[in-house]
Amino acid sequence: MGNSDVELIAHLMRRAGFGATRDQLDFYAAQGYEATAEELLNPVDERRMGDDLIRRFHPELSGMMGPNASGENWLFRMATTTTPLQEKMSLFWHGIFATGYPKVIHGKALSDQIRMFRRHGMGSFRTLLVELSKDPAMIIWLDNQDNHKGAINENYGRELLELFSMGVGNYTEQDIKECARSFTGWTIANREYMELRSQRDSDWPYGRIAWHFEYHPEDHDDGEKEFLGQRGCFNGEDVIDIICQQQATARFISRHMYSFFVANEPPVPEWPDTPPLDEQAIQQLSQAYLDSGYDITAMLRVLFNADFFKSRSSWYTKVKSPVELVAGVLRLTGEFDRPRREILDRQLQAVYMGQFLNNPPSVEGWHEGTDWLDTGSLVERVNFATQQMGDANKPGVQAMISNVAANAVGPISPERLVGECLDQMGAMSVSEDSRRVLIDFASMGGDVALGAGNSDEQSRRQIGAVLQMVASTQEFQRS
Amino acid sequence: MGRDLDSRDLPDNARGIMTTIETGARTKFLEYVMTLGMTTMEGRGFYYPVDTAIGRDDRLYVVNRSLDIVPRGVRVTMCDIDSEYYGTFGSFGEKDGQFIWPSGGAIDSRGRVYVSDEQLHRISVFDREGAFVSRWGSHGTGEGELDTPSGIAFDNQDNLFVSDTYNHRIQKFTADGRFLLSFGSQGHGDGELNLPWGVTLDANNNVYVANWGNDCILKFSPQGEYLASYGTSGSGDGEFQRPSSVAVDGEGYIYVADWGNERVQVLDPEGGFAMKLRGQATLSKWAENFLSVNVEEGAARARANLELEIDYSVIHPHEESSHIEKFFWSPVSVKLDRAGTLYVTESNRHRIQVYKRIAS
Repeated sequence: MGNSDVELIAHLMRRAGFGATRDQLDFYAAQGYEATAEELLNPVDERRMGDDLIRRFHPELSGMMGPNASGENWLFRMATTTTPLQEKMSLFWHGIFATGYPKVIHGKALSDQIRMFRRHGMGSFRTLLVELSKDPAMIIWLDNQDNHKGAINENYGRELLELFSMGVGNYTEQDIKECARSFTGWTIANREYMELRSQRDSDWPYGRIAWHFEYHPEDHDDGEKEFLGQRGCFNGEDVIDIICQQQATARFISRHMYSFFVANEPPVPEWPDTPPLDEQAIQQLSQAYLDSGYDITAMLRVLFNADFFKSRSSWYTKVKSPVELVAGVLRLTGEFDRPRREILDRQLQAVYMGQFLNNPPSVEGWHEGTDWLDTGSLVERVNFATQQMGDANKPGVQAMISNVAANAVGPISPERLVGECLDQMGAMSVSEDSRRVLIDFASMGGDVALGAGNSDEQSRRQIGAVLQMVASTQEFQRS
Repeated sequence: MGRDLDSRDLPDNARGIMTTIETGARTKFLEYVMTLGMTTMEGRGFYYPVDTAIGRDDRLYVVNRSLDIVPRGVRVTMCDIDSEYYGTFGSFGEKDGQFIWPSGGAIDSRGRVYVSDEQLHRISVFDREGAFVSRWGSHGTGEGELDTPSGIAFDNQDNLFVSDTYNHRIQKFTADGRFLLSFGSQGHGDGELNLPWGVTLDANNNVYVANWGNDCILKFSPQGEYLASYGTSGSGDGEFQRPSSVAVDGEGYIYVADWGNERVQVLDPEGGFAMKLRGQATLSKWAENFLSVNVEEGAARARANLELEIDYSVIHPHEESSHIEKFFWSPVSVKLDRAGTLYVTESNRHRIQVYKRIAS
């Protein structure tokens, strides 16, 4: 296995996961790229910090009375899971089906929605849309509890078509009304009490009570409807069937997937007037969607094995979202080998950088790409990454320093030290500019002279300082 | 043996109706009496309570963990079975009398209150009214050092047994913190410990440990010799999923907070299954008071059906308990008072369910 293959797998792990340590890359490299992609696509052997361990030490991470708990819980999982694509896909759907705390005011309901993404996010898109339409947090978020027979509320019907499946320009205002009629009677149980508690942010007397879907047939408009050119007494699932058949849906989901995994497309509202970055890629993904009967994993398989994904020209072109950056750093540092209070701070760091899990800015989710970067957030990002990597007490940092030292035969030159540190940080490759800056920095400490006059402690500090500096490169901030 | 701590959830894509019937070999053994407490960030109430210590005068000292972003919720609440409130003590921090991650509570023969702290790796001591007295303990792996002390309990000589969680052992100290004895080691075999949590002693000073990570209860002699193990991994009668706490009554009945199964089980003195409880909370006095003041919320609650039968998409008792409020949700601690009344503290429901023995 050549180093270029390891670098390609590192690219896959950055995009389909949250990066990988050098040891993990060696494991994946031994089985090859295609097998690694298949392992990601078939998450059967998940190992991570178990929920029971998390909630033993952090009761709020299961009781979820406040706005941070669901994100903290999720970050624990991102930082420790062995099936990272499952979490990445949950993040993908969270960005599209963006549901937020300020209106739902129920962390458990939001967390349950993410759990639903975890269960269905890599399966049939039809099933996912049905589950989404029954999801209590989504029902409250888009007011479907107010969508009644004879008095429709169009919110969910509109967003289902505009933001969740087809995109503007592929349906009429009448389709929206008919869609809304089809979802009348889809509500949550004990709606009055649960809504009141939510409005008052009430967790009295005994903490949050989880929400669940309830169908009220007497409130469902069972009359005939015409939707996207088809007639029938449609219920919500019938409408979803019709949506899933549409070429527009295939293209919409494909474009989202391309934007998330390959290269950032402009914000969704610009899509009707802006062609995709790679029309051929969108056609390939759309075909996979239709050929497979709307199977998300089939689309991902095509994507991860496509030249447009694997091409070296696409490496390090996407700015990591704050959560991707934080989770990636935590996986490298190995900080969460057990539950620790610091998970709250780490989650808040992502918030300070602009991404509050389960609290997106609007129903449109976050604007990705370079929109993540402004002067303030860039400072936060670099400070966070370098501070974490600079803590040699963290087991992952210790291991990287030890690996660099163990690989040394004689003194380590600045050039060699930079190469070793880039390798330890996940088989990274950087531009000549970045490499020159790193070498200049490393040169200030001179050769690392292990066992030749310098104390081991001083040598380890030299290595650690270069690891820190690597974390500040533009390549580390990107995937 | 239990599933790996780092392993996956219980299957969460299966469909099914959860069994909620309270049955057992002796259905008349315990009877529900009442519920105490409610959630409040400060003052009268509980906020993620993780243990309750019962004084000789039956005063309850409820240890509140709070959540990490709400330091003011960290405290010990003093009350009694009549819902009388006697105030709080302790606060968030590292100074004397403060806690970061308070965990277990115990009372010595003089009525002093001991509280363990899993973050600061120490034991803090207070008088009956909550005035700080002293603290001891330091972080480490050596004899007498602690890594994440959780459950604590006194023997009848005023020696304190500490569940030294991440050292996977039990340590015995004098009340002022002098190391006396250490026993248990990490493993999955007979008599071995895996992240132990609750600890208690019977009338003969035998030590019972909620062997959380190994899904069983272990019994040791007062000198730390392994004597017996009760239960195996599972959700059947007499099986446990991450037991968090254990109590033993004067007759030798063993009460277990079967935390992962969201229930309480009782074993007979020989370790055989006696009965199980799923929880049947009602409104506490404090909760009734809240709902009577907040009329609109009280009325909406009265109209709601909080015991719906649900076809769960997630077949896990923890999820079921998140929906059905009367069920135990994270029953973290079981304690008995001198009369044998059982107090079940539920962290996620911020309350205590009280059960009493029925004369047999």
